[in-house]
Amino acid sequence: MGIKPNSENNSSTGGDIRIKSGREGLMGWLNPTRYGWERVSYWLQRLTGVGLLIYFIGHIYETSSLVNGINAWNSMLELTQTTGGHIFLLLVIGASTFHTVNGLRLIFTESGIGIGRPGRPDYPYDATSLNYKQKSGIWVALLLATIAMLYGGMVMFGDVN
Amino acid sequence: MPLLKLRESQIMKIHYLTGICAVFFVAIHILFRIGMGMSFNESLEFHNVVANYHNIYYVILLELILVFISIHGFNGLRIILLELKQNQWWESTITILVLAAMIGVIAYGTRTIIIGSQL
Repeated sequence: MGIKPNSENNSSTGGDIRIKSGREGLMGWLNPTRYGWERVSYWLQRLTGVGLLIYFIGHIYETSSLVNGINAWNSMLELTQTTGGHIFLLLVIGASTFHTVNGLRLIFTESGIGIGRPGRPDYPYDATSLNYKQKSGIWVALLLATIAMLYGGMVMFGDVN
Repeated sequence: MPLLKLRESQIMKIHYLTGICAVFFVAIHILFRIGMGMSFNESLEFHNVVANYHNIYYVILLELILVFISIHGFNGLRIILLELKQNQWWESTITILVLAAMIGVIAYGTRTIIIGSQL
């Protein structure tokens, strides 16, 4: 009973995480185990965001080969238009779709849409904001990402134009 | 150091707006690859890509994508890095580095668009 001091709270929840100065740093950011789907969605949004930024910079560099003429362009295509390159592009399609749909959910959430009415915190203290609408939004984002990847796969590996 | 003297709430509005706009612009960009009556691989042939760059509306679209995704992406990176650690030196350094990287990427991409449209 009662509230434990901060240091005890940290050590009882941290598992293998080494805590210095009350901060968990990158490992705390990546650790999804203490929370639910919302935490998975939180770091998926960040991981896909960083991944897409890296892809964006790579895509700009890849496209810049255009200015060096047809031979440079074709050489770049030989590197990227391969089975491995297409699989990488499928991951980009999945990441961008998830990031978009989950990002829209977050914009609605920050605007107060879909988080429910505030209520008295009763045991087991489930936050009313983490309701089925939020969880559904995360599942819809994952589902649409999968569908987009399937369609992308058909375009790149199949006959769909 | 405040980012261009903007409040974080204003920066987040810019973040959301650039994200939403980028989705629409990128969707049009993808349509040029798979919705122009040719296969994905054909659309990537040199003369087809150069022909795209001679279309002024497509060039404007590419520039908008470049600017909007750069702002959204690098501000997102700034937010992530500021979540990890907070102090005056870190926040100032990250803001300056992210702004410099953003300007560099926009300048490099704009160079490609300008030269590509003159091929």
